[in-house]
This record gives sequence, C-alpha cells and structure tokens, in this order.
Amino acid sequence: MTSTSATLSKPARLPIFLLLLVLAITIVYPVVFLASAALRTNADYLRDPFGLPREFTFQNFLVLVNNYGLGQAAINSAIVVLSSLALVLVVATLAGYAMAKLPVPGARYINASFVSVMLIPSQVLIIPIYLLLSRLELVGEFGGVILVYVATGLPFSVFFLTLSFRAIPDAVLEAAKLDGAGFFRTLLFVVMPMGRAGLATLAVLQFLGMWNELLFAYILLPDNTKTLVTPALAQIGSRYVSDQPLVSAGLLITALPPILLLAFASKYVMSGLAAGVTR
Amino acid sequence: MTVTTTELAGVGAVSPAPAGEGRRRRSLDRRDRIVGLVAVTPALILVLGFMIYPVLFALYISFNRSNGVNYEWLGLQNYVDLLVDPLVHQIFFTNLKFLIAVPLVIFVSVIVAVLLFERVRGWKAFRLIYFLPSVLSVAVIGIMFKSTFSFGGPVNAAIVAFGGEPVNFFTDGNLAIFVIVLALIWSGFGYQGLIVLSGLSAIDPSVFEAATVDGAGWWKRLWYITLPNIRRVLGFVFIINVLYTFSSLFGFIFVMTAGGPGYETTTLDYLIYLKAFSSANLGAGAALAVMVFLLIGLLTLLQVRFFRITGEED
Repeated sequence: MTSTSATLSKPARLPIFLLLLVLAITIVYPVVFLASAALRTNADYLRDPFGLPREFTFQNFLVLVNNYGLGQAAINSAIVVLSSLALVLVVATLAGYAMAKLPVPGARYINASFVSVMLIPSQVLIIPIYLLLSRLELVGEFGGVILVYVATGLPFSVFFLTLSFRAIPDAVLEAAKLDGAGFFRTLLFVVMPMGRAGLATLAVLQFLGMWNELLFAYILLPDNTKTLVTPALAQIGSRYVSDQPLVSAGLLITALPPILLLAFASKYVMSGLAAGVTR
Repeated sequence: MTVTTTELAGVGAVSPAPAGEGRRRRSLDRRDRIVGLVAVTPALILVLGFMIYPVLFALYISFNRSNGVNYEWLGLQNYVDLLVDPLVHQIFFTNLKFLIAVPLVIFVSVIVAVLLFERVRGWKAFRLIYFLPSVLSVAVIGIMFKSTFSFGGPVNAAIVAFGGEPVNFFTDGNLAIFVIVLALIWSGFGYQGLIVLSGLSAIDPSVFEAATVDGAGWWKRLWYITLPNIRRVLGFVFIINVLYTFSSLFGFIFVMTAGGPGYETTTLDYLIYLKAFSSANLGAGAALAVMVFLLIGLLTLLQVRFFRITGEED
C-alpha cells in the first residue's frame, strides 16, 4: 500500500497537502466558529461575529439547560439510547451467535428477511408504527421509542454480528463444548470475548444512529418533558434562530457525545464504516 | 447445516464411533437446532412485529380511507389520487432538483480519496477530520447550516462586510435548496471519500508501478488506471446518493425549511410526514410511503443492473 503512495516526488506532494488542508478547514472552521460563539454573549457576538470573544460565558449553556429543557432532553436521550443499545446488543448477540455457529432451521430464510428489511425506509414505518404503538399505549413513553430503536437496529446488528462471530474458529467452540460449557457459558466466556472488536464497533455505530435519530424521536414523544435531544434542538433552532450563541451552544451539547466517540473510539467508528457500507 | 453434517460424517470416518455414539450425536445436533432457534427468536419476533408487520399494515392502510380508527376500503383510489395530484408532481420535480447534489458529492469525494491515497504527511488526521460530519445528527448539521445562512447569520455578515446586500436564503425555494445541497456535500464527502479510498486501496499496486515504469505521469495514471478501476465503487456511491435523495432528506427539510416557502422545498419523504400527521386521511400518506418504497426498490434494481454491482468482474 505504501509503495503506491510514493509515486510522487516530494515537491509535487505539497499541493496535495495544501488541498487536503483547505478541505479540512471547511470542516474544522465552522465547528470552531460555533464553539467560540457558544461561549459568548449575544451582544458580544453581534458586535463582531468573526472576531475573538471579549469575555467567555457559560450563560448560553445554563439558559438552555434551565429554561429550555435541553439538559433534561439529553438525560432522556441517554436513558433511551443506553436502554435500546443494551437490548439490541443482547438480542443481536444471541441471534448472531446462533446464525453464525448453530444449525438454525431455516437460517437462510431468516438471514434473507433480515437483509431485505434493512432496505425499508423509516418513512414507510411512521404511520403503522404510530398506530401500533398508540394501540399499545406506548406513544409518549420511552418504551415505545426503545422498541422502535431496537427493532429497526436489529436487522443490521444481527447481520453484522453473524459475520464477525463466523470468524471465530470452530475448534475453539468444540473445545469449549468438550469442557462441558453450555450455550450461555460458551457465549459469555468464548464468543463475546473473542468477538469483542465486532461488538464494540456495533455498539458505537448503533449509539450514533440512535443518539442522532430525529423522526421517531419527534413523533413518538410529543410531550415536552419526555422529548429527546434532537427534537429539542430542532425546536430551539427554529425559535431562536437570531440568537446564534444560544443555538451554537445547543448544537455543541447535542454533538458532544458523537464527537467524543469519534475522538476516543475512532478505531471502532472507522472500522464500522466498512460495515456500514452494506447498510 | 450442511457443513455440520459433513463434519460429523468426517469425524465418524476417522474414528469409528462405538455403538450409540451416532445417536448421541444426532440428539446433540437436534438440541443445537432447538437452542439456535430459541436464540434467534427474540430478534425474529421484534423484527416481525415492528418492521415486517408495520410494512404490511402500511400496505393495508394505503388501500383505505382511514383516520387510524375507522377503515373504509377504497382499493387503488389513494394511489390514483396521488398520481394525478399536481402537488405531488411538483414535489417529485423538487426531488429531482436535489439530485444535483449527487455528482457534486461524488466529485468532491473522489478528489478527497485521490488526495488521501497519496498518503502525504498527516493523512490519517485529515481522514479523521473529514469523517466528523458523518457522526453528527442531521438535526445538528441542518441547524448549523440554517443558522449560518440565516438573514442575520455569519454568511450574510460576511457578504455585508464585502459590501454586498444580505440575502434571504430561505424565502426563495431554489436558494434554500442550494443551502441544503451545500449541507449534503459538506456532510457527505468525508464518508464517501473513505468508501472511494477503500476502492483505491484495493487496486493492485503493481499496476501503478508498471505504468510508472512505462512513463505514465500522475494525471495519466489517474485517468487511465485509477478511475476505471474504481468504477464499481463509484457506482455504489452513486446508488446510495440517489437513494438518499429520495428517502432521507426529511431531517434536513424538517429543521431547515419545514418544506417552505410554500411547498418549494418539500420532498417526497417530507410529504409523507405531512400527510401522515396533518391530513384527515392516513391512507394517502401510507400510499405515498408505499410508492416511495417501490420507487426506491426500482431505482436500486435499475442501478445495480446498470453498474453490474453484483455481477462478475467484466
């Protein structure tokens, strides 16, 4: 791979570096701009939007949390996302292990149906899901959104874990079996430790998808006290569009968990990319 | 399943099992099948209940006039009404306008991939930076662009600073689409650039070396070797972009324009949402959803055939 890269002489590589730098600035500058705006008062911002802040303030964050419920929304999102994530991982691990290593009857058909439902766009689901959940009295409850996140996350998760568990050598599982390990022992002490990279990648991908989800979060939790972070941000963004520092602070709060994940688990985020391609 | 049976047969052939061993094996195998089925069941029930059943339910609703409680069978009437509705035609045309984003995103992605492929100093850091928008919510990206291009926002502040008149980007449908297309490019090029890069990395390095020895310059290699070799990846990127344009603009539209001014930025997927939650007849929304689903399926098939994504290398 490196041999192909050395096809250009040193001076010829400088323009490439500069072009990459310009592209990187188009990504980084808006983020830095928003971050600095979020730490300013509106008056200070309006005086000179592109200048440096004269004084730093956390007022915008406090207002968002205390008056506009963004803190509560972030907590709600954390509850919903972590519960959904735990459920998806447990259910998908069970199914993925079975599909990868056990002679499940009709495995081909189960696999085919999981793969084909991955193509269903969420717009097709909104009307029937809303009606179904309101009949179950789960509209306006965290449980409803959690069910939807788990169900819509499962097809890909099972598919993904089936592939990554398949890489575990059969001999290891045979050895566990000879040692008298049953289904759960094998799963807990052999399959999960050996498939941990796949599990971590999947967890990161699913977390991002759920934390960032907007449509179901918006329609299934109409009550303001139970709203999730993305609809809450959408509301703040449409109401206070003229208060750039306030909106910027909201953007930062919402974007913080994904950015932290990218910063500290970039390995898993990036390796999820290759898998996400098939999605 | 077949694999397991052959393995068992193989084991039997190597070490002749004592009598009864075969039966024990078979019962163990049956146990494994049951355990496997039980392990798959929770996932199966959830997907059946909250994905497959809803799709069938949506299909049923689409043949009815319904408020969610009462159903009145209409046959194909909802579909006919949509197909002759001038508003739906207009909105379909709006969707086509968004397709302008597809070649632009691909163009930037290819540039990014080709540049990253040279592995200049710090290319890994660049790769990580480009990936940043891919982990952000459309709500975040949408509001970022909305506030950046708002009447009192930074873009207009810059225009004024250079002596121009402030532009109201969101009172004109085409300008609003322009801003959304910019958001699509900004948020898409990193991820798709990495997909293209993975295609580049799969090219056999000796091809490049041979070309270099033959005296082909960088541009020649790009045009005659690099690009032709990644046409399948490009086809794939093209497909996901077109599908995205027809099925996933809801978030951007919802937070940036709410479909306005008028219906000028309303796309098909946003119209489904409007029909579902602000019209008396859920059947119309369901019918539109089914039609968009069919359109997406059809496009996928056509494009897969066109680019021979699944076929053998030709």
